[in-house]
Amino acid sequence: MSDTAAATSEDDASPAAPAADERLAYRSVFQRLFIRPEVGALIGAAGVWTFFWAVSDIFGTAGQSFGWIDIVASSLGIMAIAVSMLMIGGEFDLSSGAMYGAMAMLTVFIVKEAGDLGGLGLPMAVSLPISLAVALGIGFLNGTMVERTGQPSFIITLATFFALRGLKLGLANRFVGQIQVASTEEASDYDFWRPIFAGEWERNTWELGSRDFFYTTLVVLGLVVILCGVMELWFQRRESLNAAGLTQLAAGAGLGIVGAILMHATDGVGGNIISVGVIAVGLVVGVHGFCQWRYEPQTDSGTLQLDSQMTGRFGKGIGLIVLGGVAAIAIDSSSEGNVVFPFTTQGIRAILFVGLAAAGLVFLAMASQAALSINAATKRVATWVLGAGVMLIALIIFVDSESPKFRAALFTILTLLTVLILAWGLVVSRFVERRRVERDADRLGAGLIAAGIVTAAIGIAFRLMFVTAAELEAGIPPAKTSMRVVWFAIFLIVMVWVLGNTRFGSWTYAVGGNKEAARQVGVPAARTKTQLFMIVSMAAWIVGVLLAFRINSIQANTGDGEEFEFIIAAVVGGCLLTGGYGTVLGGAIGACIMAMPLIGISVARWNTDWRFLFVGVILLLAVVANRYIRTKAEALRR
Amino acid sequence: MTDKPLLELDNISKYYGNIIALTGVTTSVNAGEVTCVLGDNGAGKSTFIKILAGVHQQSEGTITMEGEPMSFASPRDSLDAGIATVYQDLAMVPLMSVWRNFFMGSEPTKRVGPFKFIDKKQAQATAKAEMAKMGIDIRDTEQPVGTLSGGERQSVAIARAVYFGAKVLILDEPTSALGVKQSGTVLRYIVAARERGLGVIFITHNPAHAYPVGDRFLILNRGKSMGNFAKSEISQGELTRLMAGGAELEELQGELAEAISGVKQQD
Repeated sequence: MSDTAAATSEDDASPAAPAADERLAYRSVFQRLFIRPEVGALIGAAGVWTFFWAVSDIFGTAGQSFGWIDIVASSLGIMAIAVSMLMIGGEFDLSSGAMYGAMAMLTVFIVKEAGDLGGLGLPMAVSLPISLAVALGIGFLNGTMVERTGQPSFIITLATFFALRGLKLGLANRFVGQIQVASTEEASDYDFWRPIFAGEWERNTWELGSRDFFYTTLVVLGLVVILCGVMELWFQRRESLNAAGLTQLAAGAGLGIVGAILMHATDGVGGNIISVGVIAVGLVVGVHGFCQWRYEPQTDSGTLQLDSQMTGRFGKGIGLIVLGGVAAIAIDSSSEGNVVFPFTTQGIRAILFVGLAAAGLVFLAMASQAALSINAATKRVATWVLGAGVMLIALIIFVDSESPKFRAALFTILTLLTVLILAWGLVVSRFVERRRVERDADRLGAGLIAAGIVTAAIGIAFRLMFVTAAELEAGIPPAKTSMRVVWFAIFLIVMVWVLGNTRFGSWTYAVGGNKEAARQVGVPAARTKTQLFMIVSMAAWIVGVLLAFRINSIQANTGDGEEFEFIIAAVVGGCLLTGGYGTVLGGAIGACIMAMPLIGISVARWNTDWRFLFVGVILLLAVVANRYIRTKAEALRR
Repeated sequence: MTDKPLLELDNISKYYGNIIALTGVTTSVNAGEVTCVLGDNGAGKSTFIKILAGVHQQSEGTITMEGEPMSFASPRDSLDAGIATVYQDLAMVPLMSVWRNFFMGSEPTKRVGPFKFIDKKQAQATAKAEMAKMGIDIRDTEQPVGTLSGGERQSVAIARAVYFGAKVLILDEPTSALGVKQSGTVLRYIVAARERGLGVIFITHNPAHAYPVGDRFLILNRGKSMGNFAKSEISQGELTRLMAGGAELEELQGELAEAISGVKQQD
């Protein structure tokens, strides 16, 4: 037998040798990050947000954000979460849209005043449990039918969809005499339930003069901590810490603080440029010092070598960015006219510029990635060209735009990004990339990233929760929030927990991934699937009740056709159509991506009909991107 | 060798209507030993597995486990008796992590207040430790099973069966889809399972794989038992000859010489 072992030790683990781990390909930080389905969705959401933020004046302000957040919270989000779970379990529910409308109608019908063409006149306390029971019953029926008949859930729930649609219209006509049911307010205990399901309040009524100081400091601090975490994951630790690096780190931090004070103290462009320069130098020095302190330096980074593929990508990248810049400058930025219905000149300009610039950056990033396989010095130069590309975009925006939002905010962000990329290019070529597993470093790195995200989120919360005196004077409408957001958050947290930490969650992945295999080892596959259908119908009940309290009067066609939007949200969020892969958080982020255009397109003053085109394009991109990311992530070990 | 075999099959036959799938098969499995079932395609190997796994019932003959006569009416019965079958398709969910696959259907839970949740830490540690006992060091139990090599997947399936209390492990052609080196790895898992005191039934059509690990050989051809030998009673050459049934031996000669020289190299 020992001979067989000797023959196999080359590509299979040998028990005697602990060094066997070495044969496993080490997955770099980004590869590990991208295998998570929600990360791609998050990047997509950031992209969509940035797009609408860039093409409209008010998208992204605290007051406007309520619009799309409320859409997410009140229907799309909750349903997308449940539908994601069902999709992970390998099934669809086409009746989910019609079902939430039906639940809203049923809830209202039970509380509607009795009489000719009236409802049952019962209190809400009776209506809610009855409608929940009916919802769960429909879910149970869906699940049982799918399991008993062995037919695709697509066709079974399509039947349920039409049945519900017919019932809604037919019963509404029969009992109420019209195709809408009103109103929730007729419930005797309406006042008790209203705050629970429809409570709304103004979020930022508190004034805080130094809000922007807290906001900026916390966000910047968070980003720095995230950067430290990424470096901890990325680089090889040295044997013993090098104190010389600490001095450098302190010097860098000092420069950064001096720059910040300088920026605060001075006014005008000259002062700003100097302080930005100081901060940039501080950041590069600090990052380098941090690495000097902790990580193994490279002895030989090689010399710059160019290959044709890389230079080709560079050429395309820079070319596209310049083309975008030319387009942006060539098209008159103040024109309000419609070029082609319904696109305004502004819109065309934004699409051209954002699209070309983004494509250019992608090319540059690809070139920079390819450079890594040559040597460290090439990687450094390639990364710097990427940085130059970002700076070029920043300058084009600065020169071209009159809006303070772009001149100040976007320019600052892009400059910061450039500095980060430059610093990254420097350290990547000077320190050794980690190629083996180190549990401590992995844990610390992940912890730092999480801490950074939390810090930045607290910073953003400051921005959202408080107003400054200047804003109050300018009469900016207060941002609102509602109980719907709370319901959405609770549902999200519970479902994330259920999917990740319970047996039921594990079984959901199992029945979606390989139902036969799951059954063979004793997973109650039929029960799990039925319960998943019931979760969808429970979500439909929650959404229905929230809707009944929000608009009082429910049309019979409410929700019909929306089931596809829930499915799209789940797919955009990274769930696999065939089941077994995805996350609930991804579905929720997918819902945000779907909801933003609803508000974004109208505030950008485009015709809202174009939303569907937008959804189609997003769906297509998401499917392609998901597939690419997953095969990439999985191919690593083959 | 123990006095009483762990599993004994006496004169097992199986008829599907007028088709005789298996007739007069007798063999035994001892704890800590490997019984190899060899046969070409259509020899009755699958029928043999299905009878032991409880998918089908034998038409004639008796199965005795630790001295007790058994009858398996369903796969569950067989599993409860301690017979675990690792099928070729392995009953794995490729996109799920190693530890979730390992515990699939029997996740260890922890209770906090009214909430019951999976004890992830314990599950991951157990999966890792059990895999280590089988001689495979899984770097990260969070990695999806789909990213493992064929041999490693077999080891997860075997380790799972062992951990959940199997006394007899049936492996359905575990090496048929694997390359030479990976087959070697799987053979080592078989030896590891044997050394942990399990009785292993190793079904294969490759005598070169069977001979090094087997203690007992049952040779099937066209539904008939061609013999049931202890290792001391048979050489690898004979094994190969019996398996081929003598008929097409001429044609196979060249091929066999090659196979044998391959084995010689390993020896």
